[in-house]
Amino acid sequence: MQESHYPELLSVNDITRAFESHGYICTSRIATVVYLAAALNKPVLVEGPPGVGKTELAKTCAAVIDKPLVRLQCYEGLDEAKALYEWKYGKQLLYTQILKEQLGDILGGASGLKESIQRLHSTGDVFYAREFLEPRPLLKAMEQEAGAVLLIDEIDKADFEFESLLLEVLSDYQVSIPEIGTIAAASKPLVFLTSNDTRDLSDALKRRCLHLHIPFPSVELEKRIVASRVPELQQHLAEQLVRFVHAVRDFDLKKAPAISETIDWARSLLLLHANHLDRQLVHDTLNVLLKYEEDIETTEGELNKLLRELEIV
Amino acid sequence: MTASAGSDQLLTFIKFLRGRDIPISPADTLDAVHVASLLGYQDRETLKHGLASVLAKSRPEQARFSDAFDVFFRHSDQRDDVQNSVTNEAQALPNDSETISTSNGVSSGMSTLEQLAQQNTDLAELLESPLVRGLSSSEDGALAVAIEQAAANAAINGIRLFTQRGQYMRKMLDALGERQLRDAAIALENNNQEAFNEVQRLREILRDRVRDRVEHAYMVHAVGDTEDMLDQALAEVKLGNVSPYQMARMRKLIDRMARKLASRHGRRRRKTRRGQLHVPATLRKAAATDGIIFEPRWRKVERRKPQVMAICDVSGSVATYAKFLLMFLYAVQDVLPRTRSFAFSSALGEVTDWFKTLPVEEAINTVNQRYGGATDYARAFTDFSELALNDINRATTVIILGDARNNDSDPRLDLLADIKSRCKRLLWLNPEPKKAWGTGDSEMLRVIRCCHIAQECNKLKQLERIVDKLLADSRG
Repeated sequence: MQESHYPELLSVNDITRAFESHGYICTSRIATVVYLAAALNKPVLVEGPPGVGKTELAKTCAAVIDKPLVRLQCYEGLDEAKALYEWKYGKQLLYTQILKEQLGDILGGASGLKESIQRLHSTGDVFYAREFLEPRPLLKAMEQEAGAVLLIDEIDKADFEFESLLLEVLSDYQVSIPEIGTIAAASKPLVFLTSNDTRDLSDALKRRCLHLHIPFPSVELEKRIVASRVPELQQHLAEQLVRFVHAVRDFDLKKAPAISETIDWARSLLLLHANHLDRQLVHDTLNVLLKYEEDIETTEGELNKLLRELEIV
Repeated sequence: MTASAGSDQLLTFIKFLRGRDIPISPADTLDAVHVASLLGYQDRETLKHGLASVLAKSRPEQARFSDAFDVFFRHSDQRDDVQNSVTNEAQALPNDSETISTSNGVSSGMSTLEQLAQQNTDLAELLESPLVRGLSSSEDGALAVAIEQAAANAAINGIRLFTQRGQYMRKMLDALGERQLRDAAIALENNNQEAFNEVQRLREILRDRVRDRVEHAYMVHAVGDTEDMLDQALAEVKLGNVSPYQMARMRKLIDRMARKLASRHGRRRRKTRRGQLHVPATLRKAAATDGIIFEPRWRKVERRKPQVMAICDVSGSVATYAKFLLMFLYAVQDVLPRTRSFAFSSALGEVTDWFKTLPVEEAINTVNQRYGGATDYARAFTDFSELALNDINRATTVIILGDARNNDSDPRLDLLADIKSRCKRLLWLNPEPKKAWGTGDSEMLRVIRCCHIAQECNKLKQLERIVDKLLADSRG
């Protein structure tokens, strides 16, 4: 078994504690998977509804192990040149122009084509060297000497071919560049991939990853999250707020409010110096929690009943 | 628990998961072993999370995994306890007999039997047997140990079929020495009703325990195999003979086949979209770099979107086959999105919309009600030509499902030939076996000449092959 080179991630309990001190409350499930990712050197595929802290997990992880976070945002049409590396064409062109005269010096005195070419060969492939290589996020993450956290965000938005491109990076932590050869990671980065489940990922990709599904949190957990993120908020208000959000999640909504919305709402209430939830306040601030007009209407319709049930009048 | 015992258990668990429709590759198994050795077997909750992260790869799989983990490890935990108590028991046995008899006294059932035994020497003898002592004792350990041993003797892990359960129960009961109880029951039946009832009660308890054990073994070791076998059998059975209670399984099977085909063909399409070098665009792009070509540009291959039109005979004899064909076609909608379907027996109508709005089974029922009846191909072809002939082009594949039996009237094959000349491919699927083609009122031999391909199609396997070919062609 390989030893993890991240001393902060050596046991499930350490991880839970370290993440909590950075303001990320993780379930035992999350902590276990992060531990395994560090111990087995495997990428983590994080799935779940938007706003439950998928991206935040990677950010916090980078903060905990105190290493740079390299982020690759995926989108349709993302390709090798934007994700892996690109040759600096401009620089190459410029150098060839400048070095034209040098070329004359090198070739001076050479007799015949054959000898000239031999001399050129002996100078090596100067224009396809590391200096002319523009590293993109994947290569950049491999090049970090002390290790890094690589976040490949919303992988489901990228094209199918891009997944195949990732396979080499994810299983062997190396990048093959035809002109140079294979560049292996200086220190294996921790990799997080996030997906919103808009399409099925390929089996090959899934096979290489640890799977972590983050659902909406329980009431207890969400209270702790709010307390950790918005500590200034009064406790009884936080409780009302979380219970309200949980009740709203049960409605048939276009987009159910996630943790990030709960936190936004908590912050708004704090700004408004609210002491407790009431009908007017909820009515005025509902647009922080819900992002679609239809959803707001649905919830407004049920508001009285909802508040009565939660005994917030 | 030792590490090897743990990994044995883990392998059995993985087999159990495969049986529950969670595909696990050998590489996954290796990962699982790593995970388990890192996390240990003590903390079940952590182990569950860890194993889930390598073994369950989608949300439905995660739900199934969670259930399976709970079921599997609950039983195996019980077994561990038993095994521990086996070792304890072995050490404590010599001076333990007194405690057993005192605990027996507490149990009410025993006291009746004991009282009766004082008048009957046979009964007293029976009472001395370890099985009866275990059964009537309030301590569960001894009996559980005996059952585990009997299970090992009966080689219960070899169970493969549901119907073998009785046989394994008998083996285990024999190994436990149940015969003695049965003999006693027979002897007591006519002369001592009270004792007889008591013995019967004990037998019932024993049978329950053994049945539990056998069922668990069946669930762990056999369910997966049996499911596979049923699926295979179902794929080979004549579609007309699929009974209603098999429909749920059939649907699942079709969905699975469709998913496989869809993923196989969906990928190929994207690969072949790039065409030849686009010289003008490449040169234009090169202008910025002083005429040096850095970035080649490619033409896109323009392709007409493939379309499938399925024409199904839904008259009595062929209706079931039509149902499965349509089910299959609509299960591959992801890769074949422009499917139009038509149903006829005499009059023909388009039923595409029903399949878009209703669940497949309901749509099929509606189709059957609306268009069922006696077959008339001439009418059907005429209607179809009016409805859709103008929409048929070189990218269209037309599939006709029918037995080509036209009740001795003219089927208007000239219309069929017209369809053939317009479309890319005309496929006739006939659920009758080839030998029956052309017999009686079958027009099949004449029909063959008017189609590109005519095929016998009455099994799911054949249907799968046809849809596979269809997808390959339509991408071509």
